[in-house]
Amino acid sequence: MKQKRREFLKLMGLGGAITLLPLDALRAATPTAVEDRAVYLSTSGGDNHDYYFSAFNAMGKVLYEQPLPGRGHDLGLRPNHVDVAAVERRPGLYGLIFDRHTGAVRAKLHCPEDRRFYGHAVYSNDGRHLYVTENDFEHARGVVSVWDAKDGYRRIAEFDSFGTGPHELHLMPDGESLAIANGGLQTHPDRDGRTPLNLDSMEPNLSIIDRRSGKLLHQAALKADWHQLSIRHLDIATDGTIATCFQYQGALNDQMPLVGLWVPGKDIRVIEAPDNVQYRMRQYCGSIRFDASNQVFGVSCPRGGIITFWDAKNFKFLTHIPVPDGCGIAATDRAGEFVGTSGVGSGWRMDAIRRKRVELPDDSLKKLHWDHHLRRIPT
Amino acid sequence: MPILCRSCKATLLAASTMLAIGLAPPGARADIPDENYRPVLEHLLTVVVPPKLDALHDATTDLSAEMDDFCAAPDQDGLDQARKDFHTAMDIWQEIQPWRMGPLVANGRDQHIEYWPDKHGTAIRQFRKLMFNKPAIYTDREKIANTSAALQGLPAIEQVLFDDKLSAKLLGDDEDATFLCGYGMAIGANLERITGELTAEWPDFAKSMVEAGPDSMDYPDAKFAATDLYRALHEGLLIIATQKLARPMGDDAKDAKASRAESPTSKRSLRNIAHNLTGLFAIYDGKWGDTGEEGKGLAALIDSSLMDRSFRLNWQNVIDALGDLPPSIVELLDQPDGYQKLADFAGQISFINSLVENDVGGTTQLGGGFNSLDGD
Repeated sequence: MKQKRREFLKLMGLGGAITLLPLDALRAATPTAVEDRAVYLSTSGGDNHDYYFSAFNAMGKVLYEQPLPGRGHDLGLRPNHVDVAAVERRPGLYGLIFDRHTGAVRAKLHCPEDRRFYGHAVYSNDGRHLYVTENDFEHARGVVSVWDAKDGYRRIAEFDSFGTGPHELHLMPDGESLAIANGGLQTHPDRDGRTPLNLDSMEPNLSIIDRRSGKLLHQAALKADWHQLSIRHLDIATDGTIATCFQYQGALNDQMPLVGLWVPGKDIRVIEAPDNVQYRMRQYCGSIRFDASNQVFGVSCPRGGIITFWDAKNFKFLTHIPVPDGCGIAATDRAGEFVGTSGVGSGWRMDAIRRKRVELPDDSLKKLHWDHHLRRIPT
Repeated sequence: MPILCRSCKATLLAASTMLAIGLAPPGARADIPDENYRPVLEHLLTVVVPPKLDALHDATTDLSAEMDDFCAAPDQDGLDQARKDFHTAMDIWQEIQPWRMGPLVANGRDQHIEYWPDKHGTAIRQFRKLMFNKPAIYTDREKIANTSAALQGLPAIEQVLFDDKLSAKLLGDDEDATFLCGYGMAIGANLERITGELTAEWPDFAKSMVEAGPDSMDYPDAKFAATDLYRALHEGLLIIATQKLARPMGDDAKDAKASRAESPTSKRSLRNIAHNLTGLFAIYDGKWGDTGEEGKGLAALIDSSLMDRSFRLNWQNVIDALGDLPPSIVELLDQPDGYQKLADFAGQISFINSLVENDVGGTTQLGGGFNSLDGD
């Protein structure tokens, strides 16, 4: 155990003494504060059912707000390009491509009548293709659609997601395969598109498909007793380890794991926090992100008002930081450091190693409710 | 609770119905100052709860002592007294059970006190095995703490004291009787220890909540801390609706099964809910039995006297309805119209929960949240 702790601290670049330094002091000592020039992108909401694609800087100053036709969810960033894809929160109909610098609309995705967008999108590494999770609601089938960014965002193909209710998806480090969190929830637009219709028979899974052929390469599920753990979000470390988090559809007082790690080809390994933290996660995780070191990952739990932090290498819980209605999280360029946003309008810089939380100072951030996911653009 | 005239009740019921269907709190309103939440925290966490935790500790201490006395010379009177002490301990535990926060949930403490819900019948399965093997660890007053949560708390001692076959054996003098007595005494001592820890740890937790503010890592402001109180009220009602009532009710009358209720062996599932409601109303009202003061709970944050009075009236209606029912779902379902009565009561719980979500949550500004209500 001691060896593992040493390995962890070594990776973090920390010794015992330096861990006592305040976050600001560490930052001030840094010759190049890359983080200070970072820009964060997220969807957001106003007070009157008005929704936006928004950007703010590292101080929390809102740079622009671009109105959306309905509530957004996550954003896909086109590598080496200005494009940002925003697809509507499920059951979504709009998909818009924005200019990340100005917020101007550059293109639109046209959702087929028999499909609904599910809030998440990701680009291929070459930026050519955009992949979007969708619901084929007449057949209760998850779909990943493929859009050609170089051909006016033409829909050119769709693949089976190999599950029901696909949600977040990411490109694997090989750049050739996609990891998909199939939440297992069947919904239908005729029934509001969000109410689960199959709680008794849910079969969530994690699937990896070939991004060119759509062929299933790997798949894993939790044990049958945990079939109501909807696997909704994931993030992927550079070594291919997938961190994933769940939303439990059963009782509030059931004791359920909410976080897991998956190395494709093996079983999903769940990790739990100490009881008093696990309880405060309140059966619901909203977002998950690895840090810059790829060893620490954060999991937001807005219903409990906490962000939890976990050590992927040693399979253990690290700490938690309370953030009221906090959900969006993005890694900064520093190991163990994240920026988080909240539905009550605040933003924080959080240090998972030293358990520090510093509120972003600019008040303009507070005029919006920040949505589930947050993306960072280093500049 | 002041007595209301019949016409006042009718007016308030009509008002509450209007509030429930959407005329309640307007979307745009001034934020409640953070400092307004602090007196509520202070009152509930430092004035109201500690005496109740002491009462729980006292009740488990009495239960433990009675088990020791009974087992020294087992007879029916001793068994009756042990059962009475069990009920006293269970009554106060059920009042505390919904306050699921801090030391109550730390180290799985709530589950060690009462392993519930037990959807897969873990306790019964393990209990049968236990009686067959009679492992010594289960009669060890200290080591029992290291065993399965299902076998070391109130449901386990409930089996010992109330299961017809087992309690009959308790009065005998064979190997089963010796083991059951030793086991019952160990559980009693274990409960006394756990509730003692709970009592000891509560003040530090309460202090951290009351001192919420920018310097606190755990509670950045008082409103955030008070949200945990609102959640306890809301989730407590949800658990009654979805676990304590919906599970035994099943899909319809044919599917109903009283054994899926809480505390089926001691036949007190509805009595448990009555005590849950006492503890839950204290969160709203600020008064819990002879402890605390009316109007100093979440009600202190409600700026509408009509809403406050209608909520109290509707809550009282639930209490009155429950008062007309027997103490257990087993007995209720034995009545010809028992299922319908149970369904009606479940409907009343759902209604009061909708008032909590819409009126209390909205007016205190503690309910909901842009992300926490999202579901994605």
